[in-house]
Amino acid sequence: MGNCLKINNSDDISLLQGGEISNTQDFAPDQNDPAPIYSELLQPIFFPSPSVRRPVSHLTEEEQVKIAKRIGLIQHLPIGTYDGSKKSRECVICMIDFCVDEAVRYLPCMHIYHVHCIDDWLMRSLTCPSCMEPVDAALLTSYETT
Amino acid sequence: MSELQSSLLLKKQLAELNKNPVEGFSAGLIDENDIFRWEVLIIGPPDTLYEGGFFKAHLYFPKEYPLRPPRMKFVTEIWHPNIEKNGDVCISILHEPGDDKWGYEKASERWLPVHTVETILISVISMLADPNDESPANVDAAKEWRESYPEFKRKVARCVRKSQEECS
Ligand SMILES: [Zn+2]
Ligand SMILES: [Zn+2]
Repeated sequence: MGNCLKINNSDDISLLQGGEISNTQDFAPDQNDPAPIYSELLQPIFFPSPSVRRPVSHLTEEEQVKIAKRIGLIQHLPIGTYDGSKKSRECVICMIDFCVDEAVRYLPCMHIYHVHCIDDWLMRSLTCPSCMEPVDAALLTSYETT
Repeated sequence: MSELQSSLLLKKQLAELNKNPVEGFSAGLIDENDIFRWEVLIIGPPDTLYEGGFFKAHLYFPKEYPLRPPRMKFVTEIWHPNIEKNGDVCISILHEPGDDKWGYEKASERWLPVHTVETILISVISMLADPNDESPANVDAAKEWRESYPEFKRKVARCVRKSQEECS
């Protein structure tokens, strides 16, 4: 398919951004909330556990810690450029072929993905989509038990 | 994952399924202008109670596909422990991703972004052949399947007959 279409990714979670940096992702405030605060509309959305999506200001302290650790972990996964290796030619998340020199992220199991594809996924689940290996079992258990 | 990428991914799968159909089901769109809503026809798997049936189901993909799973609903009446009476399919691979607190389902058993219409339907077809009664969606069907199998068989046979009438 060799399709090198560069798509403007407007719903990128923007891992490295803090809460106050503008993000166009919209969020409908809870009906129960007394007063919707404007800054909430500009916040990134997080997924602390299955079926739960919340903007930063609605996260419990425990969820904030969990997500901060998760972002830290994702940032520590190495990024490289695709070297044209025949072994993995396409990103199995978006099913688009890698282009030579495109930025890819390496998981500990050595599976590679487009950085934006895998980062969005890891924010929801720390599991390699190809082999289902937990991305960092040790780190996961350390924060699940604290 | 933008909506454009999601729709490209689904279009690719539709083209692939049209070119190389997979045994056991056929797939298309409910409305040809909406790539996020599919209609599939599942052929009752051979050597099961569902053999001979033609079961129509709908798949509703979220705009975040493949980061989030689609919902699947049988439109044809079907009696099965893992399908709600209203047709909603309840299998773990269609559950929202992540690890739940209770460790009830591991992340690897839930949704993964590598699932396609084909892999979802293969799982659903194997579920038809082999119900999982640990977490039934249709409690009555599960109870019958365990305790009064002849009654279960009779209800499934009725659904199979009805599905044949609807299809002809
Ligand atoms: Zn990708
Ligand atoms: Zn892997």
